[in-house]
Amino acid sequence: MTDRSASLSGLLARRGFDDPAWAESQLQRLPGVEPARLIEPLGAAADPDQALASLVALAEAGVDIGVLAADEPALHAFVTVAGTSRALAEHLVRHPGLVPALGRIESTSPTPEARRAVLLSAIGANPHDVEPVTRNIEAMNLLRVAYRDELVATAVRDLVYGAPLDVVGAELADLADAALDAGLAIARADLPADAEPCRLAVIAMGKCGGRELNYVSDVDVIFVAEPIPGGDEGAALKTATRLASGMMRACSESTPEGSLWQVDAALRPEGKQGALTRTLASHVGYYERWASTWEFQALLKARPAAGDRELGEAYIDAVSPFVWSAADRDGFVNDVQRMRQRVEDHVPGKEADRQLKLGRGGLRDVEFAVQLLQLVHGRSDVMLRSSTTLEALEALSLWGYVGREDGATLATAYRFLRTFEHRIQLQDLKRTHIVPESHVDLRRIGRSLDFRQDPVEELSAEWRRQGREVRRIHEKLFYRPLLNAVARLDAGDARLTTEAAHQRLTALGYTDPEGALRHLQALTSGVSRRAAIQRTLLPVLLGWFADGPDPDAALLGFRRMSDDLGSTPWYLRLLRDESLAAERMARILTASRFASDLLLRSPDGVSLLVDDADLQPRSRESLESEALSAVLRHDSAESAAAAIRSIRRRELFRISAADLLGRLSTQDAMVAITDVTTASLVGALQIAVRSAAAASPDGRVPTRFAIIAMGRYGGQDMGYASDADVMFVHDPLPGADEKVATDAAIAMANEVRRHLMAPSADPPLEVDADLRPEGRQGPLVRTLESYRAYYERWSSPWEAQALLRARPVAGDPDLGAAFQELIDPLRWPPGGLPTDSLREMRRLKARMESERLPRGADPTLHTKLGRGGLSDVEWVVQLLQMDKAAEVSTLRTTSTLDALDAARIAGLVDGSDAAVLSEAWLLATRVRNAYVLATGRGSDLIPSQGADLASVAFICGFDPPAELLEEYWRATRRARTVVERLFYG
Amino acid sequence: MDKQTDFVLRTIEERDIRFVRLWFTDVLGTLKSVAVAPAELEGAFAEGLGFDGSAIEGFARVYESDMLAKPDPSTFAVLPWRSEAPGVARMFCDILMPDGSPSYADPRFVLKRALSRAADMGFTFYTHPEVEFYLLKGHPSEMSPEPVDHYGYFDNSPQSVGYDFRRQAITMLEAMGISVEFSHHEAGPGQQEIDLRYADALTTADNLMTFRTVVKEVAIEQNVYASFMPKPFRDSPGSGMHTHVSLFEGDRNAFYEAGAPYQLSKVARSFIAGLLEHAPEFTAVTNQWVNSYKRLNGGAEAPAMVCWGHNNSTALVRVPMYKPAKGNSTRVELRSIDSACNPYLAFAVMLAAGLKGIEEGYELPPGAEEDVWSLTAAERRALGIRPLPDTLNQAIGEMERSELVAETLGEHVFDFFLRNKRADWQDYRRQVTPWELERLLPTL
Repeated sequence: MTDRSASLSGLLARRGFDDPAWAESQLQRLPGVEPARLIEPLGAAADPDQALASLVALAEAGVDIGVLAADEPALHAFVTVAGTSRALAEHLVRHPGLVPALGRIESTSPTPEARRAVLLSAIGANPHDVEPVTRNIEAMNLLRVAYRDELVATAVRDLVYGAPLDVVGAELADLADAALDAGLAIARADLPADAEPCRLAVIAMGKCGGRELNYVSDVDVIFVAEPIPGGDEGAALKTATRLASGMMRACSESTPEGSLWQVDAALRPEGKQGALTRTLASHVGYYERWASTWEFQALLKARPAAGDRELGEAYIDAVSPFVWSAADRDGFVNDVQRMRQRVEDHVPGKEADRQLKLGRGGLRDVEFAVQLLQLVHGRSDVMLRSSTTLEALEALSLWGYVGREDGATLATAYRFLRTFEHRIQLQDLKRTHIVPESHVDLRRIGRSLDFRQDPVEELSAEWRRQGREVRRIHEKLFYRPLLNAVARLDAGDARLTTEAAHQRLTALGYTDPEGALRHLQALTSGVSRRAAIQRTLLPVLLGWFADGPDPDAALLGFRRMSDDLGSTPWYLRLLRDESLAAERMARILTASRFASDLLLRSPDGVSLLVDDADLQPRSRESLESEALSAVLRHDSAESAAAAIRSIRRRELFRISAADLLGRLSTQDAMVAITDVTTASLVGALQIAVRSAAAASPDGRVPTRFAIIAMGRYGGQDMGYASDADVMFVHDPLPGADEKVATDAAIAMANEVRRHLMAPSADPPLEVDADLRPEGRQGPLVRTLESYRAYYERWSSPWEAQALLRARPVAGDPDLGAAFQELIDPLRWPPGGLPTDSLREMRRLKARMESERLPRGADPTLHTKLGRGGLSDVEWVVQLLQMDKAAEVSTLRTTSTLDALDAARIAGLVDGSDAAVLSEAWLLATRVRNAYVLATGRGSDLIPSQGADLASVAFICGFDPPAELLEEYWRATRRARTVVERLFYG
Repeated sequence: MDKQTDFVLRTIEERDIRFVRLWFTDVLGTLKSVAVAPAELEGAFAEGLGFDGSAIEGFARVYESDMLAKPDPSTFAVLPWRSEAPGVARMFCDILMPDGSPSYADPRFVLKRALSRAADMGFTFYTHPEVEFYLLKGHPSEMSPEPVDHYGYFDNSPQSVGYDFRRQAITMLEAMGISVEFSHHEAGPGQQEIDLRYADALTTADNLMTFRTVVKEVAIEQNVYASFMPKPFRDSPGSGMHTHVSLFEGDRNAFYEAGAPYQLSKVARSFIAGLLEHAPEFTAVTNQWVNSYKRLNGGAEAPAMVCWGHNNSTALVRVPMYKPAKGNSTRVELRSIDSACNPYLAFAVMLAAGLKGIEEGYELPPGAEEDVWSLTAAERRALGIRPLPDTLNQAIGEMERSELVAETLGEHVFDFFLRNKRADWQDYRRQVTPWELERLLPTL
């Protein structure tokens, strides 16, 4: 006995039972059946233990297992279904009458009519009536039982006969249609006797419309209603609405037999706010006037499902022209871009890695991508107009819109993922798209998909493999065929026609499809390693380019990069391996003319994009020492200057790239640009000092020399297009001849400017000394004593104001400190600002406001001098500094925002006023910077429309672009109110 | 090409239409019209019709003047007046930027944006305006306008100009698909009232623009002059445009709640509270002319006090009598607004104020059940009843400080509107009025 049982449990283990001891005890509970007759069939089930438990439950429900075991097909069907679906097994246990018939279920699907007849008869309605109706009070329960019986039959065809996914999905949709009709029959019974007659058609949408339904899913519908000829429309619609909501209840309400599924009518015009039923004309009116692109995409799947057939067909005839002209509507390209991004944004964080449906590479993404291609090309090619994902995919690849191999791989992956989804849902008949985590579940599902060796591992591996295929969906479906359009292919292989390629590029946002195709041809033709790598990478790049404002420029830029770097091994490696760097490059090329120009001037800058650490601005100290050692390395002044300027170019690219990639705040970018400027000046001055020493008879420079930063440079508020405002000061060495010393100083100042400003391949740094005493009329360089004498004699409030941002940056530190000491009492006058100076400043500002703005410029869009712009905010802060800095030492800073913050802490400015001012100032600065990044040029005016506005808004993160203007106007309007109060008092 | 466009092109052919007027409205509420030949219409449907936006009040500045007018085929109607025979039709346009995006300066877009904000909250906004205007003899250039008759409120006036006038105007409006609910002689001599049937706010605003044109056209045909000026006569009532509004959730009136006081739901109460709270801020929009304030300060039934009442015809907001079994007719009436407003902007700010009340859950203050004009200023203060702005200048000041109005109109329209109204006020301040001359010249 012991011996025998040991061998039985061994056999059970070998046959795949998870818990042989338990199984053995259960088999004991099935008297009258030889265990051996059950073990083989049970072992074939996906979950033998679960199948066995169901068998025991069936026995307890009174079914003679001996008889069942004798009917081999019935036993096989039962254990197969029960081993995969606990819910269906429970249904069979509760309604065991169906069990003996399981073996006689046919392998071919019943017709939709037959299914409809079965469900209607089951609830006591006559399927041959034009409008079947049932008055059976048990109808809702009967419907649920009959529906599940039919579901068991479908599951048998799926699991036992291995019906393909397409067939299963179609069967489930037919069954849903029949249930909707049955729901209508139930709803009709509830109509009041005097209800106005109406015609009502139920249109299936979504997966049901596409006849590719899941085992459990919401059924999406739209209702169309019409009065009967001569009837009253309002009253008919009222009846229709009652019918529709009655039908939805009949399907979704929970009864002792559970519920079928939710009927979701949210895809109707105006969504959940819209009327539940509408007439055909009202539907058409809506689609003519109001509908948006995604609604047309949804209509692709519309199909009459239940109710009045004729009306349903009329609806489809009326709406399908809209679907096929959707691609011509205004804003289609933008909508598509937004919808694509939305798919990717929708992944819920928590379960993202176990999602089959949402997110990049999810089922939704495949369906979505296929539908988009249908919308783009279906207008001119009627062969693409199927409402079923797999059929449409097949048609797309058959007629050359998608590569044949890619199409086939995707179809396989899609089938696998959908089947996987089905098997997950079957277990409990729950609507879920999450891959379960438990070993038992995974094992069952794996075995049901015929992974028998190591089900869990094999299933996971297959899922990963197919998931990888699908994740590259956009590149496969959208972009790779574009390459085929320009490639030489084997004769006989269908390919995208040039016209279709134009259509597609246009839909993706390329404005010059012809040029784009030319670049693609140039980039991909040939047998070089580079062409091969580019053929792989371009489909991805094309998508990234299309995500930004200027895909055409990006493609052209990439072609130039590629021509330049050619077959440099590290570049090819970067393209091949570092997809993050490639993505960053794509974003820069599509968004920024400024950064693209820097990059194209020296394409090896792309290597900075690989490592996050390289996108951190370098410290001023390290930049200065790099500049100084460059000067040391180069004997010739010219080559030393070139070295400094190439450091500056590299740093500007680093900063702009980090800025564009969202890795740098506006303030940090300003400081970084300021630091690069200082390093350039320090280096250039070192060259000049060397020349001056060489020119001097004793080899010594006869004077001490310093550069004082002014304006935005002094405030560390520089933008990409800012000049470096400076003043030069010198102080002859004791005993030196003043004239000689001054000549040397002038020579040095000029040399610094020449080195940084002379035309060259690298961008020039404008060194502007116009803020010096007497402006352009005054001497370029003054001695410290001359500054002292000048300020003692002439100082006016506005000159003192300019000195607020003076800050020594290069040259002799002691001299710089002495200069600061000289100007401190001017800019921070002890005792505050005298009343008449205050009045003079206010007047000066008022006059500037009316005079300085260029003719015709819109004051609300002028970032510098406009309403609530930079200068408004800065004058407020500067007035406070001049008045109070002698008293409040924290105000003694050159930075606008630091001073504003200090004023807030000192209680000189109200917290909310300070917030309004700094918000406006930062936004104006950010927009100015974004303008330079986008166009490569500086401008004080925000573009009010068009491509420039779109690019600036993209960089600043506003969508739609006009929102940037709204935000800017709002911020500056508020700032202006504060300025008027604080500045003019 | 969609069906509606097809229909338009076919009708033009069948009815022998020679010109199509493309209509749009500037920021101040003046109707603009450009006529195109039918042959050019297809292009206008596809790409819009280019025009110089800087020539239109409030649309654009000189340097960015290119704009597009894109006809909305669903607003197509043949113009029924005789002077246009044979064959002229009109369509309203949306104003677009050259890149095809909507122009933030287009009042129609301002209203559409406000409506879509309501839609996001699940609401559709319905309005029903009662438009008052005067019929005058002769031409408006004559300095002392003279009414066509001396009948009064609800007077049956057979054989009078006003009677014929109303009949013909209504026939034309109905011919253009605009339903008229009600029409009668108003209180002032020569003053008429015509009530448009309630419809969604965008349709109503379009209808009002059509209405004003129709009324002016019919008047010309009958050799009289129709004026929507808010207060043409010192001693007769001004012309207002009391507007009944309601919010619907799907096909259910969201203002109605059976059994609540006055059957007003919480939504309705908060909506009214929103109107009251923000009324001073949006008065410059609903009452946009210097002359508008002459009407508001006219005493008697002028709704210049911020309060609400049930059937109180002196309150700013009135809740009309509830009709049993007509839950869907529950509505509130704003009475300050006048016939010379820009209906797109006015509806937008009213809606926004009400929605704000709903969003923030404003509490409705107690209603005023008595004639608020009979109270003393101190009594009103004690009851917490504020006055609306006294003058256009005050109204501008209130509006300037309003984030709600700025957000609703959009910054562009907000800025233009204020600048324009300030200039209006500056100009008005310089005037020496007959009143001053009469009073002062003889004595000083």
